[in-house]
Amino acid sequence: MHGRLKVRTSAEEAARKKKEQDLKVKAYKAAMGRIHQKRSTNELDQEMMTLSGQILARNPDVFTLWNIRKESLLEITSSLEDEEKQALFDKDLGFVEQCLMVNPKSYGAWHHRCWILENSPSPNWQREVQLCTRYLKMDERNFHCWDYRRYVVNKAEIKPDKEFEFCTEKIKHNFSNYSSWHYRSKLLPILQPHPTVKSRPISEDALKEELELVLTAAFTDPNDSSAWFYQRWLLGYSQPDLDIGAFRMSKDKAVIAFTKAINLKSVTEFSLSSLNWKSVSGETYDNTWIVSEASLPEEFIGDSSISLTFEGKTYSLELKNQETSVFGIKCPKFEYEFGAGVVETLKAQLDSCNELLEYEPDSKWTLLTASLLMRAVDRKGYHEKSHEFLKKLQNIDSNRKGYYEDLASKWNIEKKLEEFIESGKTPTTLDLSKLNLTAFYYEQYLSVFDELNFLENKITQRSLSKLKAFHFASKIYLDKDIV
Amino acid sequence: MGENSLPGEFDLLVQGTGFTESIVAAAASRIGKTVLHIDSNEYYGGQWASFNLEGFQKHLSESPNFQATQNWNTDESETSEWTKENILKTSRRFSIDLTPKLLFSRGKLVKLLISSNICRYAEFRAADNVCTFEESTSSLKSVPCSRTDVFNSKDLTIIEKRLLMKLLNSFLNYKDEEVPEEFKNYLGKPFLEFLKFQRLTPKIINNVMNSISMCDEDALLEEGIEKTKNFLLNLGFYGNTPFLFPMYGCGEIPQCFCRLCAVFGGVYCLKKPISKIEEKDDEISFTTDNQVIKAKKLVFGSSNIPEELLSSEKKTDHCCGGLSRGVFILEKPLGSEELNSGGGGVNFLKLPGGNGGAFILQLSHYSGTCPKGLHLVHITSKSSSTPSDDLQPFVEKLFTDEHKPLYTAYFTLPSCSSKVSTTENIVECCGTFFELDYDKSIENAEMVFKKLYPDEEFLPRAPDPEEIIIENEDPTAISEHTLPEDLKAQLLLEESSKEV
Repeated sequence: MHGRLKVRTSAEEAARKKKEQDLKVKAYKAAMGRIHQKRSTNELDQEMMTLSGQILARNPDVFTLWNIRKESLLEITSSLEDEEKQALFDKDLGFVEQCLMVNPKSYGAWHHRCWILENSPSPNWQREVQLCTRYLKMDERNFHCWDYRRYVVNKAEIKPDKEFEFCTEKIKHNFSNYSSWHYRSKLLPILQPHPTVKSRPISEDALKEELELVLTAAFTDPNDSSAWFYQRWLLGYSQPDLDIGAFRMSKDKAVIAFTKAINLKSVTEFSLSSLNWKSVSGETYDNTWIVSEASLPEEFIGDSSISLTFEGKTYSLELKNQETSVFGIKCPKFEYEFGAGVVETLKAQLDSCNELLEYEPDSKWTLLTASLLMRAVDRKGYHEKSHEFLKKLQNIDSNRKGYYEDLASKWNIEKKLEEFIESGKTPTTLDLSKLNLTAFYYEQYLSVFDELNFLENKITQRSLSKLKAFHFASKIYLDKDIV
Repeated sequence: MGENSLPGEFDLLVQGTGFTESIVAAAASRIGKTVLHIDSNEYYGGQWASFNLEGFQKHLSESPNFQATQNWNTDESETSEWTKENILKTSRRFSIDLTPKLLFSRGKLVKLLISSNICRYAEFRAADNVCTFEESTSSLKSVPCSRTDVFNSKDLTIIEKRLLMKLLNSFLNYKDEEVPEEFKNYLGKPFLEFLKFQRLTPKIINNVMNSISMCDEDALLEEGIEKTKNFLLNLGFYGNTPFLFPMYGCGEIPQCFCRLCAVFGGVYCLKKPISKIEEKDDEISFTTDNQVIKAKKLVFGSSNIPEELLSSEKKTDHCCGGLSRGVFILEKPLGSEELNSGGGGVNFLKLPGGNGGAFILQLSHYSGTCPKGLHLVHITSKSSSTPSDDLQPFVEKLFTDEHKPLYTAYFTLPSCSSKVSTTENIVECCGTFFELDYDKSIENAEMVFKKLYPDEEFLPRAPDPEEIIIENEDPTAISEHTLPEDLKAQLLLEESSKEV
């Protein structure tokens, strides 16, 4: 028709695309063939750079080519002066940038960038930090770039407070950002360390501010889990620091339990290192180590403490002498113990949660946060109430019923364990019956008891492997139907 | 034919370069019709035009039906930076809209601009803030509307944050097919009543009612849901609000469509009044500059009706126009420093009030519509008496002693008042409507187009240059010559290896 432009139909366009695709495949195969041929004859020259560059510029995820490129660069620059060398490395940095535009999450491209900088005569780290800032503006959640940023910031010796500012800005822009929260948890301990307690990562003032920030995020969008993870870290629900948790030794057996897995074979200055220690799981790292059928050194029974050194740090545990064994146990740190200021903040946050529960009684994340806050404020005082919330959660959020049951089990075992340790009794028996337990927790601490009673619980098959840890138990009571 | 004369025949004559007429012109040209688009004015846009300050003043004084009043209130002392003279010196930096608008970032117009590939002719600024008027402090406050805003807001307690987010999510997830319990009892009842029952704080109710949904007090829940949902669905595309403002003023928008029309062969003439319109045997003839031209169809804007078509009867149902407008030049912008941080931008406020309330737009130089250091405020409401009386309640609220306007202008965009004798081939386009975006006007344009060309597609996407097939070319062909250099080089390798 007159005046009308003729435009390709979609079928014609598809046919054209197909032809184009075929040509691209043909070109790729040709170039790859030539590269392999050249490599077999060790021709790591400029042509190799060009060929690998052509393919990588379209698809930066061909690892092999990045490696060939590294070999070629080293070969080409081997006889050059620093200045010329630097020019070639800089050129390749420019090339990587071009590839990152194609795929900003290319492992190979990011790695190549690190490699170039490590191998250049005079790397410009400052420039790399700016590059990260630019990239994170385009995608604030590119964890490759965050990772790279930490690496180059370290090299460029950027002050942590500057980086903290950057993090805050990114969180303000979009708090759904694991990388940025994580970076905070790395920066704060440097910027605002706890003045007295080493195991506490950050000062109470900093903690208060972070708690406010993270609760604001959580209230704004509770379905975003990144803030919750950070809150857990702030409240100390993360992996405990290494310590000796419990120890017991009798004439024919011994157990040593740690707060977390350790390789006992590599400890030093350990008076019992000559014994035939074995990990309960059979793994190199374990939190419970036992000695089974040895004759144990009689003279040790008199010692009042045990100590050992691992990775340069010394750990020790007070021991008590009983008639037939020595024994020691240290109450695990269930949560941090906070100062008065932080407790006030936590209480205020708990009040906010409770107020919100009046509006939304069935809000699952509020219930969970409230119960976690209660435990941080006053674990013992709120024991019943926090369990009540978990009960409620099992109904409201039935898809995660098992999670809440396990959490309740954990808290119940914590309570019993703490009561036992505070009583100062000998580890003859521990009654853990009728607690609705669905799983075992703190099993390394339970390893020192003679008798363990788990009757009338809901222990399931999946937990039974942990029974191995109960090294001293001559009697374990379990409900019939699971065994 | 004389030197400057036009071709003698067209498929369509479009008279008036207002928004609606320009869309119709572009749409007709796009489907291959020959279009003559003319305007008796010496500027584009009609009631949708933008003027520099002097042009604006002149336009008001020369438009008797505008009921315009203008008033200067500058500090004329020697120390004053912005004397009347100094402001007028910067006249060309102003671009004052007769009809200021904001575009929803996924609204009808934006979609149309994208789908018809017109967006390349325009530039936009994402609106910086959606504001609310806080009665207690008599000041403008930014309304947190996106997730980021809510998170960073210092005006809301964390409980309010949660309540607001939850409420907004419930609107977002609302489906007619499965109405949630909390909505059921309020369908058909006022939106405000529903909000009040939701245990929200007054601040949240005010934000949702006036700033987010922009509902009138008597709006029903259904309307509230629809408008809130629409607001939310337009968030997150550009910047922190759901709105875009056309750089250099809204007068640019009709011209974008004119450009598209011209690309497809439309002929443009300004300052061309036409006369002696006659329709005979399915053909319209008219005279301009002593030349008689024929056209199959004729479209004109309601602010520019050819005399021959006017009937003596008055309209009783006014469908368009009827807007009271205020234009104000300020030195100190409305709202806190935070609201105008970095020199301000585009701030939007909807004030409730009788007769639909008012849309208020504050523009800084970043919008390209006023000089640096000054701010332009537009107020638009429906008209019921004189423009200054209509806008008085809003003006009193906003312009306290601290923010006295240096220049004030009131005018009316009159409603269409006369009946027109239209036929199958002669169709009228409506003027401006009282709406924030252009939805109704686009509907109107599409309606007019469909009346003229019932079986044709309305503004299909304009092809990119590489999609256009050159005469007799195989449409599926791809030759190695058109490949990028690097692929060509790789293909050569294959040939050379064959040779070996």
